Order: sequence, then structure tokens, then C-alpha cells
Amino acid sequence: MNRTGSLYEPGNSLFHRLDGAVKLCLFAIWTILTFLFLDLRVFGVMLALGVILLVTAGIPFKRIAFLFWIMIIFTVLNSVFIVLITPTFGTRLTGTNTPLIPLGYNTINAETLFYVLTLSAKYLTLLPITLLCIFTTQPSEFAASLNRIGIPYKIAYAVSIALRYIPELTAEFRSTLHSMQARGMGISKEDGKLMQRFRNLSAVVVPVLQSALHRIDSVTNAMELRGFGTQKRRTWYSGKDMKSLDWMMIGVSVLLFGLGLWLRLKGLGPYWFPF
Amino acid sequence: MKKSLFQLNTKTVVTIGICAALYGATGFIGVPIGPDTSLRPAIALLAIFGALFGPVVGFTAGFIGHVLTDLLTSGMVWWGWALGSALTGAFMGIIYLYKGFDPLAGLVKSKHIGFFAVYGIVGIILSLLFSWWFDITFMGEPSDKLVIQVSLASLSNIAVFVVLGIPAVLGYAKRNRKASNLSVNE
Amino acid sequence: MKPIISFQQYSFRYKSQNEPTLKNITLDIYAGEKIWIAGPSGSGKSTLAHCINGLIPFTYKGETSGSLSIDGRDPSDLSIFELSNTVGTILQDQDSQFVGLTVGEDVAFVMENKGVSRPDMKAQVISALTMVEMLHNIEQSPYDLSGGQKQSVSLAGVLSTDAEVLLFDEPLANLDPVSGKRAMKLIHDIHVQSGKTTIIIEHRVEDVLQEPIDRIVLMNQGEIAVIGTPDDILSSGLLRKYGLRPPLYTDAMEYAGISLDGVNGLSVPQKLDIPGLKDQLDAWTRDIGKGDPIPTSTPLLELKSVEFGYDKDKSVIKDVSLNVGTGEIVALLGNNGAGKSTLSQLITGILKPQLGRVIYAGEDISSWSIRRRGEQIGYVMQNPNHMITQHMIAEEVGLGLKVRGVAADEIKERVEHVLKVCGLHPFRNWPVSALSYGQKKRLSIASILILEPKLMILDEPTAGQDYHHYKEFMDFIRGLAGQGLAFLLITHDMYLALEYAQRAVVLSDGKVIAEDTVASVLSQHEVTSTAHLKETSLSVFARFNDLEQPERLVQAFINYEKEKGYE
Repeated sequence: MNRTGSLYEPGNSLFHRLDGAVKLCLFAIWTILTFLFLDLRVFGVMLALGVILLVTAGIPFKRIAFLFWIMIIFTVLNSVFIVLITPTFGTRLTGTNTPLIPLGYNTINAETLFYVLTLSAKYLTLLPITLLCIFTTQPSEFAASLNRIGIPYKIAYAVSIALRYIPELTAEFRSTLHSMQARGMGISKEDGKLMQRFRNLSAVVVPVLQSALHRIDSVTNAMELRGFGTQKRRTWYSGKDMKSLDWMMIGVSVLLFGLGLWLRLKGLGPYWFPF
Repeated sequence: MKKSLFQLNTKTVVTIGICAALYGATGFIGVPIGPDTSLRPAIALLAIFGALFGPVVGFTAGFIGHVLTDLLTSGMVWWGWALGSALTGAFMGIIYLYKGFDPLAGLVKSKHIGFFAVYGIVGIILSLLFSWWFDITFMGEPSDKLVIQVSLASLSNIAVFVVLGIPAVLGYAKRNRKASNLSVNE
Repeated sequence: MKPIISFQQYSFRYKSQNEPTLKNITLDIYAGEKIWIAGPSGSGKSTLAHCINGLIPFTYKGETSGSLSIDGRDPSDLSIFELSNTVGTILQDQDSQFVGLTVGEDVAFVMENKGVSRPDMKAQVISALTMVEMLHNIEQSPYDLSGGQKQSVSLAGVLSTDAEVLLFDEPLANLDPVSGKRAMKLIHDIHVQSGKTTIIIEHRVEDVLQEPIDRIVLMNQGEIAVIGTPDDILSSGLLRKYGLRPPLYTDAMEYAGISLDGVNGLSVPQKLDIPGLKDQLDAWTRDIGKGDPIPTSTPLLELKSVEFGYDKDKSVIKDVSLNVGTGEIVALLGNNGAGKSTLSQLITGILKPQLGRVIYAGEDISSWSIRRRGEQIGYVMQNPNHMITQHMIAEEVGLGLKVRGVAADEIKERVEHVLKVCGLHPFRNWPVSALSYGQKKRLSIASILILEPKLMILDEPTAGQDYHHYKEFMDFIRGLAGQGLAFLLITHDMYLALEYAQRAVVLSDGKVIAEDTVASVLSQHEVTSTAHLKETSLSVFARFNDLEQPERLVQAFINYEKEKGYE
């Protein structure tokens, strides 16, 4: 995240040109499809598609590396936890048991290993589409897009305000934290026992909250004076008009969604395993 | 002065936005208590938002704040947990509906604290149960592992709520109580 | 001619208060006028602004009497939005006013709310941004802009609405002097170009008067004290009476015994047609305009060739060396982005230098933690509200000792002592919320003072305060320095430096470009222009009036005020 709190990376790929609302639709469809399955083959196809789209978007890997590694670390840790806590969970899904690695209190079986592989793939499948949406959409377009897909404009604008003030509140919070630290009321190990550090943290929250409440008042005044919320609908400066490309993408994604649903109803199981 | 609950006036919109931003801004900070776990003040913020502005603001700010933080810091949205935050915020806001409870004007009675604690704890547990159910149903996570995660999270969230959240709301009310009979003591 | 804004025997009382904030206001403002509403804090000038833009009665409730009409209508019959079609407000807090995520979006905000179509909006945004010369910033986000630029964007936003009246609520409050000057120029240009009625609410006299004003409305304690042209008011000497600071050169003339009665052309520093003016000023400056040699004091804090950058190959602090002596007040001057706050973070230990050393009382403190440094070097933030965490005053002051495990008896004793030093002792049993802003500012000093540091860093200590509070606070700081405490003032306010600091260090683009007495630093034209500092009105005035040694006037002024202050 840069100073401005935006992750947007300028470019001219397919995703850059798409309307934000279309991207949100795609994102929703993709997420729902992922939720529906627990099938490595489906995730394989989706993951491949996602990676291709991500590569064509031309976002430098350097920019997404941080989020990518967080995700990898998460899935690895998550898998380790699952394997250690429920070494034979896979059996519940498949009914078979192929012991592999003895743990002492239990034995990890092949079914569980395959299960965590599937689960990890499921998490990873969600990553490319999210990255695509946040890296190719200007933050200012985000609220307009939410409004277009049917979210009331006031709620959509609340999202915009949150995006606007996250970096500022973060900076303010940090500087208050620093000034407290200098008075000996920081939250690091040096500053005393756990309880004390925790009390220090709660003390920092007070001025930050106070200033947030003050800001609520002044931003409200500013917006009232500029006529926010007086009309039934509002227009948006940011954003694009729907073009044929956008309608095409909506068509494609609806088709894919239909295909996914059909596969699911056809009994392409909630869980698939090769054993 | 309390306004009608669902009336989205400009102030409510701004409150939701700023609270969500605050939730995001403080999301990165925590007092580490063990490997990969830290006590985060975020849950206390939900308590404060709920108590000061009611369940609608609590729910929406919790949800938006959680989703944005997820997007900016992990590149993915944990929908189950985001909805959990929203639910927690809503439960924290029930106390706002009580007549005579108004921390902005310094009005908090001791029975309110009791109710607030109960709603808060019930809210934390219910929303984590919700996250648990969500992850099992939609993500296909094994329930045994989640039981451990959820109970750990419940415990730490309840601890933060009791140690940080309730005192913060009380402290805030105390601050706003009209200072009367102030005399200068030379 | 009918006035566009007309108050008749108008009074207003906030619901939460017992006394009316505005009393018996009668004021007519005509279309096309440029009006300055002046007054110290608490004079009611902001409340007057709220009445004009509709925040009263729509957001702030209360009781009114008398009548107010805006463009022939009673504002309470309209909505705040309808009113905003007539009165466009530019608020003092640029960050709250700038709600959009980009410049273009923010300018379009009103049009978005009215439901204007996107192509129409784009065209109007472009023309409004052209008027304020910000078109090339159209895609930028607020984080890329300075305070002054954000203000210009707000102005563009108002211009796009065709409002007849432009209302500026303390436009200079959050700007450094150079941006302030630019802002006043822009306001003036727009006024001339558009002919719109322009109302400015401010307490900074010299800065507002840089551009022509038709009438000044001077407010005091909720009433209009006097209305007049700048010349009327400046020559009358009323500003000081009502807690505002007159331009320094008019003060200097008075100190030199020159009568201002009936003098015209006082609103900007320029050549004045007063017989004997030059001779009298020359004589006066010869008399008392000698600079004191910088008193030598043992260095307490020394920075030696400190280098720092957030990126490896881009330094923000370049080879900075400076020192602060015991009991000395040093001003760290520089415009926004010069590296002032980075430098203070290097001193307090929040950042670590990549090269160079930080030495405190002869000891290299590079390895000291923030906490340990904090016991020796206190850091006071600009806004006291960002530092105060406790409910009661005594608790706030004692907090730093409490977390260090000091015994309760000792805490009590030391708290009492510090409160006495800071003049807060009479209020020791009060809750923090009952204090005024200035008192809170003292409280934030007290809570650091109790740790008994030897040096304090004050970040913009007087920002946003009117002259009375400014002087009161800085005299207090000077008193503490007299007791041996050293101060580093981080500021872009030249007068603050002139009057209170013994030395100034000027930072520009991460480098120290000058280090000398304040008067001498500020009379070096290269230094002030490189560092984008504003030349003081005194030196401009001295130059225009051909004084034999222009820099002497600055020094004479400082010496005179100091002497007067010590009396």
C-alpha cells in the first residue's frame, strides 16, 4: 500500500478498460462459484484462468508480491494446522484411509493431504480476481460502481469516505502512538507488563477517537453545505459509461455462472478425490 | 439527541465512513500475546461505535471496515469474518436503543453497563459461531480446527471487549458529563 | 441598492449556552463587496459565518431574534442546500472539506449531488479548475496536494456552483505564510474576475491585508465593534484593543513615536508619505537596533552530519548538523516538506539516521530507545487534543510518572509543582474537557514537563491561535527557558521565531541553508527565497522607505518588544 492508501496500478489491459460495476459482478460470480465447489479440477481451471488474466493485466509482480506471499503463508499455515489438529479429516470425506506419516497421537493420511491441497487451491482461486479488481480499479470509481450494482448511494459514499480517510487516520494514529511512546506509554515490550501495555493501547485510542468524532462533525458540515443527500439519486464524476465490451463481459460471466451451476447440479461433487 | 435508526442522514453516512476508516487504520496494530496472535483494539472500536451510534452504524461500519482492511492488507476478503465483525457491531449497538443511555451526553447508568456487557459477549460469541458456520459451509474448512480458532478468537475478543471496550465507553461518557460546580482553588 | 446579506438587530444563542453568542448585529453587505470579518477567538465571527451559510439554524440549533435576509429571503425558510446555491463556503479545515478521492471528483461533488450528467460535470470541472490554476492536478489525490492546493480545489468546487457569495472561514488557519499569501492573491483574483461578493473570516491581520479589502467588520464579544476601511481601522489603533495584532510596521512606527492619525496606505508595507518618517525611524533603530551577540551556552543536543532517507537512494535529510544549548530557544524554520518533522523524528528516536550522530549532553544517544530519549527530550504535538488521554487534569499530568512506578505521594507532589509552573494549579481538580484550547496546550506541556526533560521540541506551538493566546503561551515558554529548559521550535511562522528564538536554523530540501540570529537570517533575501519563507513586513517596509540599514528595523523591533515584555 502506498502513501495514498490506493493500490491502483495504471494500465490499459482488458480489466483496466472494464467498468467497475462489471468487475464487481465478475468478482461476485467468481466468489460464489468458488464457494459452491470443493473440487481441485474446477479450482485448477479457475486458477489458470485467473493467473492468465492477472498476467495480461500487466501489474508488476513487485506490486502484488506482498499480498501474494501473505496468502501463501496463510494457506501453508492453515494447512499445517489442519493436518496437525485433524490428521484424518480426509477420511470423513472419502471413507477411505491411507496412513502416511505417523505423528505419535495419530497418523496423517493421504486423504487429508489431498484435502488440504484442495482447500489451499480454493483459497488461492479467490486471490487473482481480488487482486485484479483492486489493482486495476481507481478507488474513486469504486463507490460509483457499488451504486451502479444496486447499493444505495449513501452506503456507497460511506465506502468512499472510508477509503478517503484511512491513510489520514492511520498517520494520526501513528503519531499519537509515537508521542505516547516518548512519554513511556508505548505498547512495545520495553513499556512494561502485558496488562500495562494493553492499558497504554487503550489510552491511545481515546485521543484518536476524540479526533475522529470531531472529524465526523466537520466532514458532515462540509458535505451538507455542498448538498449531499438532498436528491433521490446522485451522479458520479468518476467511472465510465458501459460499452459493448462491458456488456460482452457480463454475458460471458453469466454464461460461466450458468455453466458452473449446471456442473454443480449435474453432481460434480461438493468434494472430488482421485482415490 | 438520537435520530431514527434507519434514517440515513449525512451525519450517519459520514459516521459509518469514518468509523470504518478508523477500524481500518487501527487494524494493523495490536499487542502481541503469542506467535501469530495479538490482542487487537478493533473489537473495542466496534463496541464504541455501537454504543455511540447504534446497531446500524455498528453493523455497516464493522462490515465496510473489515472488508477494506482485508482488501488492502491481505488481497482477499474473508467474508465469514467480515460479516462476523458486522454482527458484533450490531450487537454492541443494542444498548443504544435503551432510553436514558446516551454516552454522548454523559448518560450511562450502571444497569446499562450490565446489559452492554451481556449483549457484547453474546454478540461476540454469536458472530464467531456465524463465521464458523460460514467457513464450514462455504469454504469446506474442517470443523475441529475451526472450533479451536473460534474459541481462541472468542476468548481474546471478549477479553478486549471487557478490558478495553467497556471502559472506553464509560470513560467517554464520563468525559462528556457536564462539568458542574467547577471552582477555582488557588 | 439592496444588500445581498442583511442582519437587522440580529442575536443568536446556542441551545447549549446561557449567553447569546451574537448580540444585536446590524450589518448590510452589498453585492460585489469584499468584506473582512475580523476578531479574536470567541468574538462570534465564526458564528456569524454559520448564520450566513445556514449551518445555523440547520445544524447548530439555538434561539434567534431580529432578522436576517440573504438574497432577499429568510434562510430558515430555505434548506441548507438551497442556501448553498447563494452562499458557497470554503471551510478552514481543508482535509475535512476535501471529501473526494481525486481533485476532479471533489470539484464535482456539488454537481454529483444535484445529479448533473457526467459530460456536463467534466466540462464544468475543467473550467472551474482553470480559474484556480489547478487544471494539471485534476487526477491527483488529496495526499499529493499541499494545504493551499486543497483550498484552491475547494474554491473551484464552490465556483462550479454559481453561488453569488463566497464565504471563506479562516482561510489562513492551516497554511504556511507563503501559501497564505498565495491564497489571498487567488481570493482577490477570483473576486475581481467574477465580481462575486467575498466574505473572509480571519484573525491574522497582516496576511489578510496583503490584498485590498473594501470594509473591515471588527467583532468583539459577540458584537460589531466597528466597521470601516482598512485605513480607518489601522490608523485608529483599535486592532490591538480588540485582541488582534496590527501589522508589525505600524507597530514599529508607533514605537518610534510616529503618529498614525489620518495616515493612508497602511494596509500593506509600502512607501509612506509622512514627513520625517525616514529620519525618525533611522534615529530609533540606531538607538536600539543593535543585535545582541548570540549568548554562548553549553551544547545540550548536537546533530552531526545526520543523513536520512526513506528510500536508500533518496535522502530527505542531507548532512544536517545543528545544536541546541541549555536554556536556549532555537527555531527550526522551513516550508512544508523541507524535512522539519523528519528531523524531529530523528531526534526523538522514532526514526534512526543512516549516517551521522545524535549527541545529547556529550553522549551519543543513537542506541537509546524512544522511551529513554523521551525522559530527556520531550516532544509536544501541534494539537493538544492528540496527546491528552485522561479524564482529569491531575491524572493526565501524573500519568508519565505512574507508568514509571513512582510512588503516589511523590507523584502528587510533583504534579502540584508542575501545575503551579504551568499556571494550571487553580484548575487541578477540573476535568480536561472544561479547559480552553490554550489551557489544554499548557496541559500537554505539563504532562511532559513532569518527566523533567532538559529539551522540548514544540511542533507549530501557536498554529491557529489568535494573538492574545499566542502571546500568553509563548511568554510562558520563554519563562521556562529562563529556568534553563531548552526549546526547539518547529515552525514556519517567522514572527514567532523573531520574537522568541535566539537563533534560527533554516531547513530547505533537507539541508541546513542558514544558521544565525533570527533577524539576520530573515533579512538575507537568498535564504528566505530559497527556503520559501516569507520576507517579514518589517524588512519590506524598511526597504520601501529607504532606511539606511533596513535589517536594523527588524532588530530594533525585537529589542523593543522584548524590553516591553520584561517590564
